[in-house]
Amino acid sequence: MQFMGRKSKRERTQAIEGYVALSPWMFGFLFFYAIPILASLYLSFTQWTLVGSAKWIGFENYIRMFTRDPVFIDAATATGFFVLYSLPFKLILGLMLALLLNMKLPGMNYFRTIFFLPAVISGVAVSLMWIWFLQPDTGVVNTLLRYVGISGPGWFWDINWALPSVAMMSIWKVGGAAIIYLAGLQNIPAHLYEAAAIDGASKWQQFWRITLPLLTPVLLFQLIIEMIDAFKIFTEAFVITQGGPLNRTYFFLYYFYEEAFRNFNMGYASALAIFLLIVIMSATALVKWWSNRWVYYEN
Amino acid sequence: MFKKTIKAIFSAILATPIALMALADDQVTITVWSMDGHDLGNEDTHRQVIAAFEAAHPNIKIDLTLLPESGLEDRMNTAIGAGGKLPDVFPLISGEWAPIALDLSSYIEADPDLSQDMYAEPFWRTRATFGEKVVALPTGIGANVVLYNKDVFDKAGVEYPTADWTTEDFIKKAVAITDKANGVWGGDRPRDAYRAIWHNYDAQVYSDDSTTVEGYHNSPQSLAAYQWYWDLVHSDATPTKAEIDVLGTEGTGPVDLFIAGRLGMATLNQSHMLRALKEGINFGMVPEPAGPSKDRHANAWSATPAIAGNSEHPQEAYEFLSFWAGMEGQYISMTTGLNMFPSIPALWKDHPYIDHPAIQTFKTTLDWPLVRDFDGTHLCWRAALRRVDEVYELIGLKAIERNEIKKALDKEVVVLQTALDDCVSRLGS
Repeated sequence: MQFMGRKSKRERTQAIEGYVALSPWMFGFLFFYAIPILASLYLSFTQWTLVGSAKWIGFENYIRMFTRDPVFIDAATATGFFVLYSLPFKLILGLMLALLLNMKLPGMNYFRTIFFLPAVISGVAVSLMWIWFLQPDTGVVNTLLRYVGISGPGWFWDINWALPSVAMMSIWKVGGAAIIYLAGLQNIPAHLYEAAAIDGASKWQQFWRITLPLLTPVLLFQLIIEMIDAFKIFTEAFVITQGGPLNRTYFFLYYFYEEAFRNFNMGYASALAIFLLIVIMSATALVKWWSNRWVYYEN
Repeated sequence: MFKKTIKAIFSAILATPIALMALADDQVTITVWSMDGHDLGNEDTHRQVIAAFEAAHPNIKIDLTLLPESGLEDRMNTAIGAGGKLPDVFPLISGEWAPIALDLSSYIEADPDLSQDMYAEPFWRTRATFGEKVVALPTGIGANVVLYNKDVFDKAGVEYPTADWTTEDFIKKAVAITDKANGVWGGDRPRDAYRAIWHNYDAQVYSDDSTTVEGYHNSPQSLAAYQWYWDLVHSDATPTKAEIDVLGTEGTGPVDLFIAGRLGMATLNQSHMLRALKEGINFGMVPEPAGPSKDRHANAWSATPAIAGNSEHPQEAYEFLSFWAGMEGQYISMTTGLNMFPSIPALWKDHPYIDHPAIQTFKTTLDWPLVRDFDGTHLCWRAALRRVDEVYELIGLKAIERNEIKKALDKEVVVLQTALDDCVSRLGS
């Protein structure tokens, strides 16, 4: 009788080969993710100014975060609203764009490239471009609006418009999402549409009964990726608004960058990072749980 | 004969690497991180200083890395935080780094060519020392001054500002020279609260001992400074933040707007002043305007390179630092590239632009009390103020009435006090 777990020489060799093949990823995960996360967790219970050694202060950073830090509320509010503003638009517009790009029309590859470009341009370059677009007095957008008799808002420099402006910038990069939807759309078997058409289904019914259900795994993927991406917004605040006006765009990542590297408050910054990690993990778990109700896997 | 030749060749082959190794043993490489900018000079200046130093010290090689200021700050912070290797020499741009810098006192004492007396006292006082330690040496210096475009003033028929002008004069002149039809603004606006003009109102964000906010941030002096800022913004003689953000350049001031003749008065630095001179702009220069305080304050600074406390070659690093910040190095920096202004007064007579009246005005401000006398010794002021600086922003956005400012400042006191206490427990008072 062979004991459970006892492996033949060939199986052992295969296992070793497997681990060797996995090792680059495992080392990468260990050194660039697992250890830094554990280090951040430890540092979140300390007071550390970079210079000198970290001093253990227990839950003090977390207590401060939830009880005596008004900027924490500002940062959480700004980030939460940014996710709410940008995520639905990116998902819906991305899908609409993918449906358009999936049409068999001349020059479609050209349009696919054009729409995908914003997703690959450097965030700093895009931010600088948008600053010029949305400058209230000399910017392109308000100048065009003035031609039609509309006085445009102050965009990034207006208390009420700053956050929607940053969300709009983010939505402009919807081409990246559209390309992934497009790949999903092209995986849907054509015979399903042919059968539906023979049965007399309209284009809307085909979309509703075939396209959307078969696209739900891609939708779920996009939802999770875009949501995590939205929680991690940083470049726009760093380059354009520096968190203003009145902390309306003081996003979480920018907040802990300032705490860590401008205010030398590494312990508190680590606590903020851990909090964001928990929020993202919880939101992802929630979405995964919810997806059981609406995601359709063909197999 | 053949055997002798072979023997000689082998001996030479063996001797060469040994000789090279001996040479390499004597050669020390000093790593230097620096910034290409107003106060330390551009890349060419750095290279010229290094070439002159290496020629005089053949056993020391300098490995220079030039970074933008924010890049240098992040890279230093990361290296310090990760316990990584620091450069031997680096500009001490953050007060937080002072504890890791080498105490230079004993090196300076043993150096016959360098002493504290050589340097302008304000910069030694505010930039080179940390407690009892000497942690850096001043090199190039800088200050904010107000440049005014004479053509804009002449066109409006307004008299030029004079050195004894006041904050009220600033607003009056800005209004008088504003020409909206031609896109000309009168003057710029302060980029932060509690800069020189706030100090000229005797406004201080919190007490000297870093314990009390009440009676400081909301004091009559502070209120007056904020009200002046409100008056300036509502005069409509100054560009909005959006205009400064987009049209202003170099991150330090709207120099391009000024040079283009679209800003009558601009608070700029010495490097911008030299640029205006070189571009033939018809301009004059005055210090930042006086307030009710008996003292005028200057927002002046000096670049101060330091040596890492854990440098493996502190003596060689000091050799380079003392050359760079000494007479010879500062002379090179002063006469090349951006024509840095030296922190050694004895060198000023040789500055290429010394005869220009603007330089004389610039020199005057350097003897005044410095904004940094408070900022440099209170590490928490910016971190604390960042939490509550709503009044300044609200005024800039025209989102608060003048008679609401006091109430808003009062409201900020409690939050600011909490932020200050948090910071002081971490960074000290």
